[in-house]
Amino acid sequence: MFTRGTLIYVGQRIVMIGFTVVAVSSIVFLLIHRLPGDALFSEKLRGTAYQDLLHHYGLDQPLYLQYWNYLVGVVTRGDLGESLVNRGLKITPLVIRETAVSAQVGGLALIFTIGLGLVLGVFAAVRQNTWLDYVLTTTSVVGYSMPNFVIAAFLILFFGVWLNNETGGTFYYQLGGWKGGIGQLWLPAFALGFPYASIVARLTRASMLEVIRQDYIRTARAKGLRESVILVRHALRNALIPVITILGPLVIGIITGSVVIENFFGIPGLGKEFAQSILNRDYAIVIGVFTMYAALVGLANLLVDLAYVVIDPRIRY
Amino acid sequence: MATAAVAITSAIEPEQASLWSDAWRRLKRNRLALIATVYLVLLVAVALVALVWTPYRMSEVGVTQTYAHPSLAHLLGADELGRDILSRLMVGAQVSLFVGVGTQLLVLAVGVPIGLLAGYYKGWLDSALTFVINVFYGIPDVLLAMILVFILGPSLTNIIVAIVATRWMDMARLVRGQALSLREREFVEAGRAAGARPVKMLFGHILPNALGPIIVQATFGIPAAILFEAFLSFLGVGVQPPTPSWGSMANEGVQAIQYAPHIVIAPSIALSLTLMAFNFLGDGLRDALDPRSRR
Repeated sequence: MFTRGTLIYVGQRIVMIGFTVVAVSSIVFLLIHRLPGDALFSEKLRGTAYQDLLHHYGLDQPLYLQYWNYLVGVVTRGDLGESLVNRGLKITPLVIRETAVSAQVGGLALIFTIGLGLVLGVFAAVRQNTWLDYVLTTTSVVGYSMPNFVIAAFLILFFGVWLNNETGGTFYYQLGGWKGGIGQLWLPAFALGFPYASIVARLTRASMLEVIRQDYIRTARAKGLRESVILVRHALRNALIPVITILGPLVIGIITGSVVIENFFGIPGLGKEFAQSILNRDYAIVIGVFTMYAALVGLANLLVDLAYVVIDPRIRY
Repeated sequence: MATAAVAITSAIEPEQASLWSDAWRRLKRNRLALIATVYLVLLVAVALVALVWTPYRMSEVGVTQTYAHPSLAHLLGADELGRDILSRLMVGAQVSLFVGVGTQLLVLAVGVPIGLLAGYYKGWLDSALTFVINVFYGIPDVLLAMILVFILGPSLTNIIVAIVATRWMDMARLVRGQALSLREREFVEAGRAAGARPVKMLFGHILPNALGPIIVQATFGIPAAILFEAFLSFLGVGVQPPTPSWGSMANEGVQAIQYAPHIVIAPSIALSLTLMAFNFLGDGLRDALDPRSRR
């Protein structure tokens, strides 16, 4: 499956991702530092305090010097700088900690997306033109037409408000590690993943319908294999190839969708930090989080390309 | 002679069905697409009516009790400041439609020429434009839009510009693909042999033949843009108060979900129905304009 060529390919890609991340963070850095108004200024500052602050952050230097120092810091030390609002708060550890939180939500959402999407798609294809097919197909159009925060609102309304007596309304994420994580995370993850699950279901159904009519499926039936084996081992594996194609945009969609969902549920991840620091005008964090996102998107695309190799042995890098 | 020719053409005409009338006939058979069209026409009507009349002033505070539940006087109730939700929903329809359609018009203006140039001329121009397109695909779209709105300032025009900056590539890529395949066809060769100038070639010969997929893509782009605006407004970086947006209305409603769920339900349903209608219409148009793609 993976050869030496694959390793070289992965190496090249990682170098490319590095370049993209630096390029993206540079663009955002230059864009944002042209902004009027800054987070440091305050009426309460007296005397030279404001100048001292500017000096502390190096903001009194010319832009090209600031940019150069920033770039050197990022490339050599992985240092994304310091928060402008919460003084002394280092951004790199903050971003890493929040990425771990976001990864839990996003990972669970991805599991929902792929699992639910495949199951619904296969069922709809196998029972083509029955009521089950119609129900599933319609549900998927409804699903991808609903913004994730609308799904989240209705789920909270249902489980948190209307079923309050049964559930106690405990669907909010609390810091405190992994224990009980899934119990608290399933609702945000479901809201995040469901629109994409609908897209996966639609695609799976269409490609299953194509595959299921092929000769080798008839051969498999003729051999007397069990229907479940035919569906999963023979049909689904080939039907997966077009589904994998949209996995890239899908993962990016989940990553960006998490900005909304994390703010909705108050999950202390990257997305919440991003929206908060934009509203707080904390440029340093905005740039840092955006850099992290660029790296995540790059890595996600790389993983998707590697998934091709696993699913389709004809593809080699 | 002239009259005879006219008589002949008019006698032949009923036999012919243009691509568009064919497509219209197929679209009419698609019941979901028709229902969606009716809904959208009604929505546009509501948005237009809201320009001159709403039941109450949309930004007027305290027209009734705060958090008032739906009643005859206020069909959808009132929000946390006692503003009439129906009135705000109507104005929100304006915002959504304006953003959706405005974005797609700009996306067409940016994406179509870029796609045509890249696909028709190939070579270094294509490589350069494709590179730019791929770079833009690598950037998380909602985040870029948030930063752009943040830098440009949160006005309706800037929101549209920000969404276009993250969405133009879809159209450019589609048009590039169409141009790539169309440029090899005989009628383009004939046009070139007849000495048609580049502008005439691109916009007179290539573009009209790619119009079907472009229309479908633009139709699917409208709900995407509306969703985008709702995301931005939901996060507080979109349309600024007092102008209501379905996204910001939902955000305000979530705060009060325990005791006044109607505040979040109304904009959520309006948003979902509208997105659904555009998606059904897009599906219908795709089947109608490109019968081969039918599954």
